[in-house]
Amino acid sequence: MLKKLLRRSYRNKKVNSEKSSEEEIKLNESNINSNLNKTVDSFKTIYSYPDNQDVVLRNIHISGSNKKAAILFINTITNAKSIEDYVISPLLQNQDSSKQIDEIITVQSLQTKNKISEIVTHINNGNAALFVEGENKAYLLGATNFEGRNVEKAENENVVKGSKEAFNEKSATNISLIRKRIKSESLVVESLIISKRSKNDLFIVYEKDLVNDKLLQNVKDRVNALDVDAIQNLSLLEQQIEERKYSIFPTILYTERPDRAASFIEDGYIVLLMDNSPDSLVLPATFWSFYHTSEDHYLRFPYGNFTRFLRILALFISLFTSSLYVAVVTFHAEMVPPDLLLAIAATREKVPFPAAIEVFIMEIAFELIREAGLRVPSPIGPTIGIVGALILGQAAVQANIVSPIVVIIVALGGLSSFAIGDISMNFTVRIGRLLLLFAASFMGLYGITALFTMAIFYMVSIKSFGVPYLSPLTPNYKSSKDTIFRRVLQKETFRPGYLKPKDMTKR
Amino acid sequence: MEQSKQLIGIKEYIAIVILMIGTKLSDDTPAILFEQIKNAGWMAPIINGIIAIIPIYLLMKVVGNYKDKSLAEVTDHLFGKFFGFIILFTLLVVAFCATIVDTAIYTDIIGTMYFTKTPTIIIYGILIVVCAYGARRGFEQIGSAAWTVFPYLQVSLLLALILSIREGNTAFLFPLFGPGPWEIAKESSLRLSIYADFFYLFLFFPLIKSKKDFIKGTWLGLVFIVLNIAIFMTCFVFLFDYKTIMQLSYPYHEVIRTISMGFLTNMETFFLPFWLIASFVRFSIYLYINALLIGHLFRIRHFEYLIPSLATLIVFLGLIPESPTFTIFNLKEKILLIATPLFFFLPVLMWVVAMFKGEFKHANKKKRK
Repeated sequence: MLKKLLRRSYRNKKVNSEKSSEEEIKLNESNINSNLNKTVDSFKTIYSYPDNQDVVLRNIHISGSNKKAAILFINTITNAKSIEDYVISPLLQNQDSSKQIDEIITVQSLQTKNKISEIVTHINNGNAALFVEGENKAYLLGATNFEGRNVEKAENENVVKGSKEAFNEKSATNISLIRKRIKSESLVVESLIISKRSKNDLFIVYEKDLVNDKLLQNVKDRVNALDVDAIQNLSLLEQQIEERKYSIFPTILYTERPDRAASFIEDGYIVLLMDNSPDSLVLPATFWSFYHTSEDHYLRFPYGNFTRFLRILALFISLFTSSLYVAVVTFHAEMVPPDLLLAIAATREKVPFPAAIEVFIMEIAFELIREAGLRVPSPIGPTIGIVGALILGQAAVQANIVSPIVVIIVALGGLSSFAIGDISMNFTVRIGRLLLLFAASFMGLYGITALFTMAIFYMVSIKSFGVPYLSPLTPNYKSSKDTIFRRVLQKETFRPGYLKPKDMTKR
Repeated sequence: MEQSKQLIGIKEYIAIVILMIGTKLSDDTPAILFEQIKNAGWMAPIINGIIAIIPIYLLMKVVGNYKDKSLAEVTDHLFGKFFGFIILFTLLVVAFCATIVDTAIYTDIIGTMYFTKTPTIIIYGILIVVCAYGARRGFEQIGSAAWTVFPYLQVSLLLALILSIREGNTAFLFPLFGPGPWEIAKESSLRLSIYADFFYLFLFFPLIKSKKDFIKGTWLGLVFIVLNIAIFMTCFVFLFDYKTIMQLSYPYHEVIRTISMGFLTNMETFFLPFWLIASFVRFSIYLYINALLIGHLFRIRHFEYLIPSLATLIVFLGLIPESPTFTIFNLKEKILLIATPLFFFLPVLMWVVAMFKGEFKHANKKKRK
């Protein structure tokens, strides 16, 4: 009974809301009226004027042509000063009756529209609308001024050598940062509206004489197919457009460095930008793009490759140390040289847990410290360090909950995982480490190898926008062979072949 | 972009060939060869390799004659529907038995050499689950995975070789011809089918990027495998002498138990993961071959879906023999002896039929046109 009643009441409500929105849609779809009062009234209802605090409606009298006019804008996202200087005062001071409106106004960009929905979009984007008595169109004056921060230093992708600029939340600034690096007329910045209600803008940036048309179309299709109310920023968009949503491997690269985004564009990749996102999405992405950093190429050849070597080492250490330890101690004790084995046995003597449990306790503790350290308000940050290092490390050993060697093993693995800079790949490695640890606790090296082989089979079957995840290693494509190690800059003469760019050679 | 096209390049193909056949040096194949020919066992892979050139060459002539047709389609085309079915069905039975026997052997190796306390079904289960997962991904993915791990596997093999040669004794190699040249030639050619897998490779003919890649890859693979197996078998003789080696079922695993490096006295667990990866890849291909053949025989287009049930069947059949170390050793020898004439005479037969049907002339005419 109750359910039925509830359902009925829901149904009624729905009908009501649909009715009101129907009216709104009707209003939005109509053109504006040449009667100024009527137009102003309809905009007043649309913007709930005067309840809406920051909507400004100012009536003026154009003295030259002796016409009434009204100007409407949202003052928190519009530059009021420029409207005052370039629109209102010229209109008021004009004495020449033969001059048209667009001749009087001195503002930078000006266009006319007559459909209400289009005008509303412009006003929502920070432009001002000017309505004039007797004219069935509105003048839209560009005076956008959204608040935001300035260009600041990159915080997550640090480099010692190289540019320090990072993207910020304004897409205009971000585009400018890219244009500063690629001064070419073939750099295209396309814009699309991707959400139905909030009307979020997306910018697709690419070089038109490099990018593969099929790839571009694929990206556009996938973006256009989105049917959502709002997509606030790129991190949410990434999850909307990626292929394998449950996979632990990321397939879209997320970078906050304009220099990195620019170098990807120069290779024929596509970059996505959005307002409110201090970063960019690079697609398609391969495993290598997560493993590389921009600094690898800024450093000289031997130094760059040395960091690459350290990074691949760190990748394997953080994936395998704890699981190998568990496997060796539990299943393959004969592998360890006798002296070391005795040392390990001596430290483990007083610990009541099996090695697997011991390592799990430490791993979880480490991840907790890490997560807490990230969320803790910065004034109490140092406390975490003290609690983590002293209490969990020192005291746990003294209390015989873990053996000292496990502290070393877990700390080494945890520390190494920081060498993988990309946040998504970092998670992949951390989750992968836990999975391997599980496998090792059950079946030792056999379990580790089985899981690892499955992971390889999985990795080679992932595709990001049609590009195999491990290319150009396999399947083989013509490229600069920038995979685990890079080559001398002069020998990196090809763009990545798996993107099928229009121009393969870099010079 | 080109998601539908699943062609693999020469690198991936060679990796598949070598992992599929070269891995045999690490199971009981060397033991089977040593059993009859004693210390001259290392010659068998070379002799067989030379003999194997004939069927492989003939098969290449026949299959290469058609574009985009695999061995299965060519067989159907040459022998007609009925005989084609019988031949392919025989091939399937041999492949299926070989897969069961080999997976059982590998399970036995893991069980007796490394995980003595673990129940067989768990070891077998994990082995087959990983392989089924790999095979389910498709041929292209198996190739890519094979190529990704291949260099590291070769390095580990080379390391094992260097370490074992250091401890060997070259005098064990003599008398060079062991039981006598005639005996060697006879006994080794009877076991020609250690290379029978090459026959099955022709099923993948249309899946390789170009005909040239396939031919080059197959020959390179053969040379590489012959060298790999022969060198390792020589090494086994160096290390153990023929008396001991006839007792050993899995010489490779005894070798990696014997060798040491510096302060590491027990190296076998170091080599285990590499060998395991090779085995996983190997059986993924075997499973894929079986599914491919069944798919062709019974007109199942999406044969990948068969793999999980096929894998389950293999586990339960493979678990049947008791004391697998001996039973399966004998079973495998029987299969080798039975498959040898099949592997040698079928390509000859195919070539002869193709000759009589005038298939080669057709192709030439087409080319001229």
